[in-house]
Amino acid sequence: MDIVIALTINGLIWGLIVALIALGLSIIFGLLDIINVAHGDFFMVGTVLGLVIAGTTGFWIALVLVPLLGFCLGLVIERLVIRPAISSASLTIVITFGLSMILQEAVRATLGPQPRRMAAPVEGTIHLFGIDYDVYRLFAALFAALAIAGFFLFLSRTTLGTWIRAVRHDRETATALGIPVTLVCAFTFALGTALALLGGVIAAPITTVDFRAGIDILPVCFMAVVIGGLGNLKGTVAAAVLLAVMEGVVSAFADPTMARISSLVVMSFVLLARPHGLFAGATR
Amino acid sequence: MRAAGIALIVALVAALASLPLVLPAFGLTFWVNVVAEILIWSLLAASVNLLFGYVGLLSFGQALYFGFGMYGTAIGISMFGLGLWPALALGIVASTGMAAVAGAFAVRLTWHYFAIITVVFSLIFYFVAMSQKWLTGGDDGLSFSAPPILEAAGWMLTDRTTQYYFIFLVCLACYALLALVVASPLGLRFAAVRENEKRAQLIGINVYATRWIAFVLAGFIAGVGGALLALFGRYASASYMFYHVSGEAVVWAIVGGAGTLLGPLVGTALLIIFREVVSGLWENYLMAVGAITILVVIFAPKGLVGSLTALVRRGESEEREHLENPGIPATPATARAEAE
Repeated sequence: MDIVIALTINGLIWGLIVALIALGLSIIFGLLDIINVAHGDFFMVGTVLGLVIAGTTGFWIALVLVPLLGFCLGLVIERLVIRPAISSASLTIVITFGLSMILQEAVRATLGPQPRRMAAPVEGTIHLFGIDYDVYRLFAALFAALAIAGFFLFLSRTTLGTWIRAVRHDRETATALGIPVTLVCAFTFALGTALALLGGVIAAPITTVDFRAGIDILPVCFMAVVIGGLGNLKGTVAAAVLLAVMEGVVSAFADPTMARISSLVVMSFVLLARPHGLFAGATR
Repeated sequence: MRAAGIALIVALVAALASLPLVLPAFGLTFWVNVVAEILIWSLLAASVNLLFGYVGLLSFGQALYFGFGMYGTAIGISMFGLGLWPALALGIVASTGMAAVAGAFAVRLTWHYFAIITVVFSLIFYFVAMSQKWLTGGDDGLSFSAPPILEAAGWMLTDRTTQYYFIFLVCLACYALLALVVASPLGLRFAAVRENEKRAQLIGINVYATRWIAFVLAGFIAGVGGALLALFGRYASASYMFYHVSGEAVVWAIVGGAGTLLGPLVGTALLIIFREVVSGLWENYLMAVGAITILVVIFAPKGLVGSLTALVRRGESEEREHLENPGIPATPATARAEAE
C-alpha cells in the first residue's frame, strides 16, 4: 500500500511539472497554430541553465533568472525562425524539428554527452502517509502549482492576458479592435518558452540533466495537450495530472512501458473520437 | 522541357548504375556502401513525400512502417529461417498491412491532428518493440546473417558490388512505381485532394479512400526501405522506429523538395553525404543540419529540386507550371479553413 501512495504522490508532483510545460505547448498551439517539436528541448535547456546558474549563484536566483532567459530566448526564436515561416504553416513543425536538433547539439557540445545530477536546494525528508519523502519534491509541486495559478491569473486579470485570449478566440476581430496581434503572438511564444524553462529549472533537482531529456518529455506533454483538447488550457492541466497519476499507479502493478503504451492508446482514441479533447464542453 | 527531364533521369540512373565500377577505380570503395545507404533511406523520405508532397498530409510516423519492413525481414530470416525473397516479402507485407490498418484510422484526420496521430501510432509500436525483447531484441536489436539472393548463381549480399546492385534495382523499381502512380489518374486524384479537399469531393472523388490508398502505398515504400536496411546491415533494432527517425525523413524530403519525384533522393543524398564528410571533423554537425533545415524552409520552401525546377520553368506559362509541378501546397490550413 505504501508503494501505491508513494507512486501516486510522485505522479501528482510530476504531473504538475508536466502540466506547467504542457501549458506552454498548448498556448503556443492555440494562438500560433504551431506544433512545437522543440518544446521538450526548451524544458531541457531549462534544466541545463538551472544546473549552471544554480551552481554559480544558488538555486533561488536560478529559479527567477531561468524563466526570464527563457522569455528572451523565446522572443529571439520567434522573430528569427517562427515568424518568417508562419505563412507556410505546415512547415513550422519542420522548423521546430530543426530547432530541436540545434538546441540538443548545442547543449551536447557545451555540457557534454553524460547525464548529470543536480543537488536539491532543500535537503531532508519528511514523514508523510507512512513513508519518508524528499522535501524538495513537495517544494517542486508547490512551485509548479503556483506558476500554473499565476499563469491563469495573468490570462484572466491583465490586459495582455485578455489580448491573448482575444487573439485566440478570433484573430480578425482582434486585429480590427486594434490589438497588436503580431506583438501578442511574439509575447505568447516567449511566454510558452519561459514556462517550459521554468518547468526545467524546477524539475532539474529531481530528474537528470541530459541533452536528450527533451525527447523523453515531449510525447508526455503532447499527450496532455491532446487529451486535454488542443488549445484547451484547463483541460491540459487536468490531463497532465491525470495521466501522470495514472502512469504512476499503473507502474506499481505493471511494467512502466505498459503504462506508457496504455496512455498512448488512450490518446489515439481521444484523437479519433473526440479531437477537441476529453473535456471539450466541460471547460472551454 | 520534358525531353530534358527524361535525359536527366536517364543520366542519373546510368550514373548510379556505374558507381560500383567507377568509385573503386578512384580508391573510393567505401562510398559504394554510402550510396547504397542513401538509396535505402531515400525510400523512407519518398514515403514521407508521397503523403506530404502529393496528398498534403504531413506524417511524422513513417519510421513505424520502415520498422515493420525491417523487423518482418529480420524475424523472417532469424526466427523462421526464411530465404531472402520470402523474408523480404514478409517484411513488405507486414509494413503494408500495418499501414492499411493504421491508415484506416489516421486518414480520418488531417492537418496537425494527422501529424500527431501518426507520431502516436509509431510511439506505441516503438514502446512495444522496446519491451518485447524476446521477439525484437529491443534496443540491442537482432543480428542475423543474410541468405543468398540467388543460391544457384551464388549471389551473396556479402559481396559489396552484388549488394549494391540488389539495392539499386529494388529502389529503381520503387521509384518507377512512384512515377507511374503520380502520372496516373490516381496521381491526379492525389493532387486534387491536396489542393482542395472540398472541391475534390464535389467532383466525385472519394477523399477518404484516396488518402488511404496513398497512406498504404507510402507504408509499402517505407517497408521496402526498412527491409533493405535490415538486409544491408544484417540487423534490425527498435531504435529505428523512434519518431526522430521519422523526423529526419521529413527533413530529407523537404530539403530535397516535397512534391517532386527526385526531391527526397536529392535531400537524402545531400544530408547523408554531409554527415559522412563533416561528422568526422565536427562531432556536433547536427547543429548545421538543423540550421540548413530552417534556412531551406524559410528561403526555399519548395526544397532544392522544387526551387530549381521553378527557376528553369519561369519562362513557361504560370498555369502550365502549376498543373505540371504543383510543388507543395502553399497554405493548406487557410485553404481548408476557407473551404469549410
